[in-house]
Amino acid sequence: MGRGLSRALAVAANTFRETVRERVLYNLVFFAILMTLAGLLLGQLSIRQDEKILKDIGLAAMDLFGVLIAVFIGTGLVSKEIERRSLYPLLAKPLSRSEFFLGKFAGLGFTLLVNLSVMLLGLLLTLGATGRRPDVGLLTAVYPLFLGLLLVVAFAMLFSTLTSSTLAAVLTVGVVVVGRFADVIRGMREVLPGVPQQLTKALFAVVPNFANFDFKSQVAYGEAVSAGILAWVTLYAAAWTLIVLGLGLASFRSRDFQ
Amino acid sequence: MPQPEAGPAVGASREPVLVTKGLSKSYRTGHIIQGRRPALQDLDLELHRGEILGYVGPNGSGKTTTLKLLTGLLRPDRGEATILGEPLASRAWRMRAGYLPENPYLYDYLTPAEYLDYVGRLFGLAREKRRERSRELLALVGLERSAGLPMRRFSKGMLQRAGLAQALVNDPELLFLDEPMSGLDPIGRRLVRDLIRGLRKAGKTVLFSTHILADAEALCDRVAVLRAGRLVKVGPLGELLRLDVTHMEVLASGVAAGTPGLEAAARIDAVGDRSRLEIDEHSLGRVVNAIEAAGGRVLGVQPVRRTLEDYFVEEMGGAVAGGSRREDRVGEWGEG
Repeated sequence: MGRGLSRALAVAANTFRETVRERVLYNLVFFAILMTLAGLLLGQLSIRQDEKILKDIGLAAMDLFGVLIAVFIGTGLVSKEIERRSLYPLLAKPLSRSEFFLGKFAGLGFTLLVNLSVMLLGLLLTLGATGRRPDVGLLTAVYPLFLGLLLVVAFAMLFSTLTSSTLAAVLTVGVVVVGRFADVIRGMREVLPGVPQQLTKALFAVVPNFANFDFKSQVAYGEAVSAGILAWVTLYAAAWTLIVLGLGLASFRSRDFQ
Repeated sequence: MPQPEAGPAVGASREPVLVTKGLSKSYRTGHIIQGRRPALQDLDLELHRGEILGYVGPNGSGKTTTLKLLTGLLRPDRGEATILGEPLASRAWRMRAGYLPENPYLYDYLTPAEYLDYVGRLFGLAREKRRERSRELLALVGLERSAGLPMRRFSKGMLQRAGLAQALVNDPELLFLDEPMSGLDPIGRRLVRDLIRGLRKAGKTVLFSTHILADAEALCDRVAVLRAGRLVKVGPLGELLRLDVTHMEVLASGVAAGTPGLEAAARIDAVGDRSRLEIDEHSLGRVVNAIEAAGGRVLGVQPVRRTLEDYFVEEMGGAVAGGSRREDRVGEWGEG
């Protein structure tokens, strides 16, 4: 293993440990409670109906908790280190700024992966425990959701290199909200002809379409997501994440730490 | 008062391990109307292998800026530096150097042993080596009994010592220490002083910034004096201070300011029955006789040398605080 990769992995491992020690994974407890309550309450409904609702609730909760972690932990990943000056002793070592930045990204990415995996397992167990078929097809909804969360983390890190963690969180939430309604923005001119076309075009160009990562309803209804679509979503996520992460890295590398 | 250590440092040589030429940095000021405030101007400095160089100056004189430039946290506006034979921008020299920032913040959710292990990984040390090094260093800085405690439970002094330990993980040849005694109690300060002395004995080179002049006097082979971002003086302490005796200090009991024969004293401070007299060297015999003739007792006689603090007050008083009283200006320089 290259030395640079080994150092980035050390940063990633420490970032994961930080999220665990700072009790970020406590959201799993809420998820467990939510699943238990949903399972109990939906026992009265017909099998077909409650299976869909259970999957819907489970996937929506994964999405919500994932976005909250990606935004609020993501924006603190770099800015907290700068504000507390904890990166000073580290950057004076053979650790490059790129290794530090990418290690942080990988660390939070791993936290999100663990988080989603445990929640998915919880959903499958709830389905099994309430007499429904544990549907492995749920993975086809969770995988794109994970890719979308990685992109959210990349935005959070980019903004946190430019401004305070609070403003970075606001900006990241803004990108997520606009990105989720990208299709609405695209059609905005048809509803509101007064909106300048340049504005909608510009917004559409700088904000990814987060709806591309959303297969929750489709999967909840038992519809399959093809491998081709998943491959396209992977490429879409990779392109956006690389661009946003690259911008964040460029900004971080050019910073002075006064 | 601590005295400069006698003799050359073990392993000290003229081999430069750090050379800066015209190193300069300014900071942007203002949001709407932007200007630049110079923080460091044209720093030319050489640090030789095996020596301890004290980097001293008032707050805001550019000490921390220099160390941040050397460790890559800031980028210079102009100028260059060579560290351990490598250009400043190279990462290779970092394998052989250590850095303790001012008031270090270490991850408080980690124990010091975990933090040292993390740092060891950044240097590519094997697991067993990291464990061994962590044990050694925690013992060295007196934290072996707190090795398993999360650092959020540490006092400021303990954090400072953990910070020192992380700077030593790679057994560095060159150390940059930014205010290493800051926030330490007397025991902690003694420990860090002894540690720096130990580093010198081991042939390490140390550049440490401080505003506590007594520490610089006690530890440094040479001192570099910084004022308003400019290096104003650099040299051995003896040369800087001219270590001649400036006057004698006599501690006596049973005498007062009006006692006949004590007119030679430049200053008499009385506290209760005891008096402290400042006299010149040649008047010593006369004053001692006068004390005894008046029925008093000489409790002690001590030669007084010019201190680094005196040097600052005399040479740079204007830059320190703008205060006119000597005591005020000494106070600005801290706890020494």
